[in-house]
Parts: sequence; structure tokens; C-alpha cells
Amino acid sequence: MVGNRLFVRRRDGRIEVRLNEAGREVAKEAFGRVVAAERDPTHEWHASLNAPIDPSEDDDSPLASLGRQQEISTNAELAYMTLGEQFLNDAEAWAWLSTLQIALRSTAVANGLLTEEKLTSAEPELMTFVRTIQHFLFSLAECL
Amino acid sequence: MKPMRERTTEGDVLTEQDVKTERPWNVVVWDDPVTPMSVVVVIFKKIFGYSNNKCTELMLKVHHEGRAIVWSGNRQRAESYCVKLQVAGLQSTIEKDE
Repeated sequence: MVGNRLFVRRRDGRIEVRLNEAGREVAKEAFGRVVAAERDPTHEWHASLNAPIDPSEDDDSPLASLGRQQEISTNAELAYMTLGEQFLNDAEAWAWLSTLQIALRSTAVANGLLTEEKLTSAEPELMTFVRTIQHFLFSLAECL
Repeated sequence: MKPMRERTTEGDVLTEQDVKTERPWNVVVWDDPVTPMSVVVVIFKKIFGYSNNKCTELMLKVHHEGRAIVWSGNRQRAESYCVKLQVAGLQSTIEKDE
């Protein structure tokens, strides 16, 4: 069943990206929005990228928050930079997986899709985006 | 002749009552309806290095119970693991063990 896999682990260890142009456009949108959301406090995804670490405290440790911000940005920028690549190494594939997963969860949080009922009644365009990212993640997770 | 040592170790040894155990901090992962199960397993393996079985067990606990404690220990490491899970896109928090 290699035929419909979007990502395939090759013998040399690299991960082949088999997304077509439309697929790469969806990934580009997702990566671009994560990069933007991390930099822009008014972005609709910003809150989900800055969720509390310890909800019992008013504020989280600034070091932990800063570390998180830097790691999310680094992953999203690496994923964005490698959008056109045919092959990814493990670090790049991990950056893709993390950033796609952040995009997926941020979409769910920003649109209130936090229950199965809400998810199934979401607008078709939104559902297409969610299902596409999930499909990418399924395939990528099989390689890692 | 004066003895070489006047002190003994008696009294230096802590009794059971003197030992206070610090409660550990838990790293909690929360369920959401969009994250694929296989992605959760891959993230647990990458961050904690747990076996495939343990990762699957924890993932199923998150899925069925809404949350699971995936690691316990000192606060600093709990915070670090929580950040790693959040960077990987999972909803995670820390809490002091009850």
C-alpha cells in the first residue's frame, strides 16, 4: 500500500515527500500560519500556542515560555524552509510533524472544535483543512 | 586517656518522622477530538523514549479518560517535558501530585 502514502521512509533513512502541488500549498498555509501566530499576539492561533504550563499559577516561568516560543518558531521556520524538498531528514520530518500538529490543534481551538459533535458539524471548508492535515499526520507518523 | 571521638552518629540518623517526602509533579496530557492517535504515540516515543506498548497504553488512557499522567518527578523536569509536549502540539499541563 505504498501507492497512496504521502510520506515514505527510504532505505537510506531519508523520508520522501510525495505531496503534489495542492498538498504542498496546504502545508505551506499551515506552516506559514504557525510562524505568523508565534510572532503576532493578535493572531487567532496565538492563544493556543501560549497555553498555560501550570494552570494553578497566574503566570508561567518566563524561561519555560520563552523556550517554548523559540522551539515552536524554530520548527515552523525549518518546516517552511523545507517545503519544496523531495526528501527530509529526521529532524526536518519531526519539524513538519510538530508544526502540522500545532496547526491542527490551533485550528480546532480557534474554531471551537473541542468535542466530536462540534467537529462533525463544522463547515465543509474547515473540515477539509482538518482532514487534510490529519491525513498528512497519519502518513508522516508511520515514518517516524 | 581522652577518647579519639566523643561524638557518635546517634542522633544524626533521621527517623521516619523526620523524613519529609516532596510530592512529585505530574505531566498531564489532555484529549482533543482532532489529534490522530498514531501521532500521540510517536510524540510520546520521541519525548520520553517509552516502549511502543507503554506509549499506546498512555495514548488510550488519554483517549478514554480525557487525560493521563505521562510522567512524574521534580518540577523542573516536569515543566521541561510539558513544554516539549506543547511544542509537539499536544495539550499538556503540570500539576502537583495529590
